[in-house]
Amino acid sequence: MLRPSEIAESFRIATSALRVNLMRSILTMGGVVVGIVLVVVMGWTIKGLDAVWERTIGIIGRDMLYMDKWNWAGGGNWRDAEARKDITERQAWLLAERMESAEYVMPLARSWNGSVTLGNKQIMCSVQGTTQSYGNTPAGTTEQGRWFTGSEALQGSHVVVLGHGVNRTLFPDNDGVGKTIKIGGIPYTVIGVVEKRGFIFMDFIDNQVFISLNAFKSTFGFFGRSFSIAIKAGNEKLLDIVRDEARGYLREIRNVPPGKDDDFSINEMQAFDAQVTTIRIVIWMVGIGLTVLAFIVGSIGIMNIMFVSVTERTKEIGIRKAIGARRSSVLLQFLIESSMICLLGALIALPIAQILVGSARWVAIGPLKQEWVSAVSPFIQVDLLFIAIAVSVVVGLLAGFLPALRASRLDPVECLRFE
Amino acid sequence: MTDTPETQAPSQPIIHIEHITKVYEMGNEDVHALRDVSLDIGNNEYVAIMGPSGSGKSTLMNMLGCLDTPTSGTYLFKGEDVKSMSDDELAMIRNKEIGFVFQTFNLLPRATALQNVELPLVYAGVKSSLRKQQAEAALESVGLRDRMDHRPNELSGGQRQRVAIARALVTKPSIILADEPTGNLDSKTGQDIMDLFERLWKLGNTVILVTHEEDVARHARRIIRVRDGLVESDDVTSK
Repeated sequence: MLRPSEIAESFRIATSALRVNLMRSILTMGGVVVGIVLVVVMGWTIKGLDAVWERTIGIIGRDMLYMDKWNWAGGGNWRDAEARKDITERQAWLLAERMESAEYVMPLARSWNGSVTLGNKQIMCSVQGTTQSYGNTPAGTTEQGRWFTGSEALQGSHVVVLGHGVNRTLFPDNDGVGKTIKIGGIPYTVIGVVEKRGFIFMDFIDNQVFISLNAFKSTFGFFGRSFSIAIKAGNEKLLDIVRDEARGYLREIRNVPPGKDDDFSINEMQAFDAQVTTIRIVIWMVGIGLTVLAFIVGSIGIMNIMFVSVTERTKEIGIRKAIGARRSSVLLQFLIESSMICLLGALIALPIAQILVGSARWVAIGPLKQEWVSAVSPFIQVDLLFIAIAVSVVVGLLAGFLPALRASRLDPVECLRFE
Repeated sequence: MTDTPETQAPSQPIIHIEHITKVYEMGNEDVHALRDVSLDIGNNEYVAIMGPSGSGKSTLMNMLGCLDTPTSGTYLFKGEDVKSMSDDELAMIRNKEIGFVFQTFNLLPRATALQNVELPLVYAGVKSSLRKQQAEAALESVGLRDRMDHRPNELSGGQRQRVAIARALVTKPSIILADEPTGNLDSKTGQDIMDLFERLWKLGNTVILVTHEEDVARHARRIIRVRDGLVESDDVTSK
């Protein structure tokens, strides 16, 4: 058993050895510093990605289901999906009427490529026909103006709520509410603008405009269109119940025989998690590869310098052994020294990583919009600090083990003779 | 260390060596550093081990100091068999029972006098405050209380050797083992150091000197002469 006094002594020796060989130690740390910087920056990037993603999902809501002919995540067979019958307006409304567990059930009709014009400015974007209650969901929350009312929906009034991206394109001065634009050649009055919702993953969400189903019908018609049904469960915990209910009813409505697969897809926000996971894996693979390389280079350097240190201090080892240092004390002494070199490396690496992280975030503010960058921490997270420190100590222990073992096994008589 | 009463007479020797040999392999050749040595050293003896270089006296000293173990024969240290001890057990014996004093002092250059003297107590696991107190007392007993915070390079040769002696004394060992303690000192300083050993012996310590100098050996009360790996003579001197 090592005694506290021996452990304390080991730390004292290690710090004094480091102080004496400061320059040499710092030069040795290069690889470790690079490795730690990589670990931290990589961890921060993944955390940032997750944070932005969480915010996106959080805004739209994890409790949203979209019953659709298509599988959004691209899973399943595309030809099978194409062969499915369209979901008709009638089926959508039937489902809406029957559903009991969900907060909102909203039939949606969509034209992916609607023409939206303001004067001679024209953009092509998704035009979505939906219900009044869509305005009560996070995806339809307006930052300016308002959503259309029930009576407007019923009458098919030509009023439109713009997605955030569309508003930005058509009205750079943000003065669109009350103005008239043309959708599919028909004049519509802008009554509201939806808050920014999308991010790199889901940019399309901001590039659409919302009108009532009746307005959609009069402008685009329902012929040849497959409806979607957006369902807001109201609570993530209810999701399973709502999903089961929706599936059961829609199968019934569409006459799917028992034992046959659904002839529709249930799309959930989770489906998009796969995209994020892919990005995360790519970052990890690149990052881990570089990090391992840096640590290998780093530990060879440290091992080398520790062997030098053991040789230089042969006499000292002999003296310590003569007056009673056991093998474990000598082993510990050199292990602590090598870990402290790595720890010092981590202390040098962390400010560097912080500077990189801070500048990366600052650079990202332009292209990624302030509100999204705000989800990303400008600082290295505390757990990353601890991981970095732990990794550096482990690398130090591994790199220092062989030299320390050699030191601990030296013969005291030989050591004392060493000059 | 535990006494085993049935085998130990009251005048049990601290060191009991019987027919020990030490053989080193040097390439293909075996070098017989110790051929057949038997001796006892009792409590509060003042012994000098003498011999020319190559006589085996250094090997004998390493053996006595538990830095090395014999190839064959018996070595009982206070009744305990040293030959069968592990490295760590030997380290513990050296720590608690033996105080080394070397020709070249062998102080740690980056540590102060006090820290050097504290070192054996560090490995003995003594608490910091008690350690400091004991180390200060040891330094005081060699007359270096006012030099405690000096590093070895700020001390004279004689002072360094006295720090080394304080380090040897601090654990209150059973024997003090000094290897050519005056070899690197001028004769006046050497005399001071020998006076110090005399005083330590009179205070009840067991002192073993290893030397090739007759002048130094003459201070001891018993002289063991070693030649070609054998004990040549073992005489109690009249003084």
